[in-house]
Amino acid sequence: MSSRTTERDSPGLRVIEPKLMPPRVHPGTLRRARLLEMLDGDGVTGFTVLSATVGYGKTTLARSWCTERPERVIWLTLDAADDDPVRLWTHLATGVERLGEGLGSAALSCLRVRGAPVETAVDELMNGLVAYGRAVTIVLDDLHALKSEASLRSIGHAIERLPANARLLASTRSDPAIGLPRLRARRALAEVRARELAFTVDEASELVAREGIPLSAESVELLLERTEGWPAGLYLAALWLRDLDDPDRGVRAFAGSARHVGDYLTDEVLAALAPETREFLLRTSVLGRFTPQLCDAVLGREDSAAVLAELARSNMFLVALDARGEWYRYHHLFGEVLQLGLGPEAAPELRRRAAAWCRSQDMVEDAIEYSAAARDAETVGELLVTHHLEFIQSGRMLQLLGWVRWLPFELLVEYPVLPTSAAAAAALLARPELEVQRLLAVAERARRERPRAWSPYLEAGVEVTHAQMIEHGDVGAAARHGRRAVAAARAGADALTVGALASLAQALFFAGELDESRRIAVQAVERPDAPEAVNGYLVSLGLLALVDAERERAESAEAWGRQAIGLARQRFQANWWVASMAHLGLALACAATGRLDEAEREAARGEQLRRSPQPTVGHAHALLILAQVRVARSRLARAAHDLQHAQRMIAEFPDPGRLPGTAAAVEHSLAAARAHVSHREVIEDPTPAELAVLRGLAAGLSRREIGEQLYISLNTVKSHTRELYRKLGATSQAEAVARAEALGLLDRSQSPG
Amino acid sequence: MSQRYRLVVRGELGARYASAFEGMTICAHDGITEITGAVIDAAHLHSLLERIASLGLVLNSLAAVAPGPPKPPASPPGRDPASRERTRATDIRRRSG
Repeated sequence: MSSRTTERDSPGLRVIEPKLMPPRVHPGTLRRARLLEMLDGDGVTGFTVLSATVGYGKTTLARSWCTERPERVIWLTLDAADDDPVRLWTHLATGVERLGEGLGSAALSCLRVRGAPVETAVDELMNGLVAYGRAVTIVLDDLHALKSEASLRSIGHAIERLPANARLLASTRSDPAIGLPRLRARRALAEVRARELAFTVDEASELVAREGIPLSAESVELLLERTEGWPAGLYLAALWLRDLDDPDRGVRAFAGSARHVGDYLTDEVLAALAPETREFLLRTSVLGRFTPQLCDAVLGREDSAAVLAELARSNMFLVALDARGEWYRYHHLFGEVLQLGLGPEAAPELRRRAAAWCRSQDMVEDAIEYSAAARDAETVGELLVTHHLEFIQSGRMLQLLGWVRWLPFELLVEYPVLPTSAAAAAALLARPELEVQRLLAVAERARRERPRAWSPYLEAGVEVTHAQMIEHGDVGAAARHGRRAVAAARAGADALTVGALASLAQALFFAGELDESRRIAVQAVERPDAPEAVNGYLVSLGLLALVDAERERAESAEAWGRQAIGLARQRFQANWWVASMAHLGLALACAATGRLDEAEREAARGEQLRRSPQPTVGHAHALLILAQVRVARSRLARAAHDLQHAQRMIAEFPDPGRLPGTAAAVEHSLAAARAHVSHREVIEDPTPAELAVLRGLAAGLSRREIGEQLYISLNTVKSHTRELYRKLGATSQAEAVARAEALGLLDRSQSPG
Repeated sequence: MSQRYRLVVRGELGARYASAFEGMTICAHDGITEITGAVIDAAHLHSLLERIASLGLVLNSLAAVAPGPPKPPASPPGRDPASRERTRATDIRRRSG
């Protein structure tokens, strides 16, 4: 859904700076030369993963390694909200932009195209890195926080596209689902795992010595054995032992205990702290990232800055994120364990206070997260209503959708703008039909129960979303909804008019009302605000290309098509379905003017952009256009395959509009083409060797490729081809293929798809 | 439709972990801790595993187990020795999460 404000007016959601801050390495941290050398490695592998459970010193190691290297680092600490790949890549693109002005801007523009595949933005980001030229390391900390297929897929895509000057380092608690086995097999992956990250006896001795703890060699071994080299355990132990009078005895007691290592040591370390400090730690443990001001607000005090500075200095479970002492977080493990000590009522109250402070600072995402953690649905609802446009403007559709789905039904009915915008987001993201329909049903309920809160804006939004469900095969319904959308937009939601007109024009096209469709599409493209409503604009231009092509105005069709494709490229929309109709229109225009090669290329591109896991009206239509063009090129086997695919889909649609008619027309031309070809007689049957060459020709292979596949020389391929022409009475390759097919000489099952 | 599971982690966990696994019974002994209880479905099971990971615990084993003792009767506690036993068991479960 577009809104009245343009991208200039609304900057959208802010980037969360602490996520981009590499944590400070505490001076007490051991320099682990052994591991640093491992990371230096062969310098060739682009992707390194540090994979081990919590407390193995992965973040520390990554940070130390980056500090010691000359190249620039882009650090990103991931969290669950990065399951929206737009959020994830917006932060990375911001990091790239900070390497040099303009390097990340293309990627950032891409990301604001709502619903577009994020892989386009990733590619632009990689281009930015190439343009930067110098070595750069990207660190992804806490990769295990990503669970969504969309985000993981985008990371996998990035790994494949990483330029030579960039290294990607990821730390994670669990092996990410990005095809590690495959990368391992290709030796494109370097790994450092728990076995390597565990402390050795030398490292343990060094740590103990640095802390000034007089332990015997046996005690060090005992300590190592008890902790099994777990770095978190060893650092906690050091914290505890350095204040003991008799550390050897402490170690013996520790070794003799059956308690869990972390539990035992946390008790000891906390016991040694002053009660007020313990209280401070306990109550701030619910905060993720925090500043002294946030702590003050949550705890009702004024001295958090001093407390935090002292804590950061004296031990390592408080991590400073910047040099100025503004941002901190707790070590993950420590924070988790501390929180266990809070009673069930204390935590929600603390979180609510945190949410209120974040809200006062315009930290929208954090305010929502804390409110949600405090189970405060009311506040989450309010915040979403106030800020939903920022989510949309920033392309954070998936994130918005996630929050809306979290809210209870009653709240969604009370704030109808939420289910409405979520339904539009879900449709744009091509979520399953059921999901979109559920959200629309909630919006419907809101419209019935609270008619005074229902506006033309909401009406137009809902109707456009309904109209977009045309893809699932009910053309008549889509047209009805399209008309309502246009009426509502005209009644009071001017900014949605282009989108509404486009959805109506599309429905009319598939219903077979070409002239009416054209009339509406023209209205859309002639509006001055059309270029802002880019999706609707592109769809309308594509429809004009298609209609004019069918009405045999090839020149006009071509003009519309090229305009659309040029615009799509400029606005980074060339790689998804909105551009497909322009390609299809262009294909028909080229076919009409005899440029069959180009026609097939354009039609294939249009079809490829329409592919999706579910059968859709758009894809079926694209297949029919492709089949039509292929018949003209005498690629009859492929045309038949495309036609059959389309027909299978069309059979499932409740109201497929003009598609059955179009399919019948294509079938008719296909039959005619076959008949035409089989009228002439075969002079002689081709030999099996010649048929093998023929199959290669039918598959569109070059003569050289055929020779390579069949292990025969190029000359042999050429002489077989000459024989084929003679025997089939053909004068061209297309004719030979068509003839052979028509005569059933080519085994159908071996024909290319 | 739920299934009872027993997860065993290394090391005996102290009282602070009582609230870490809501609805489950914690029992520490002999160098390990058993976390037992009804698991609603796969998502619930995965969240328990994640919790274990985020708390730095090491999972020794995970097994589905037969249903536990029958639920206490509706009669108030203290009426007869048998129901008093069961009430105590319920108390322990509540205390340790």
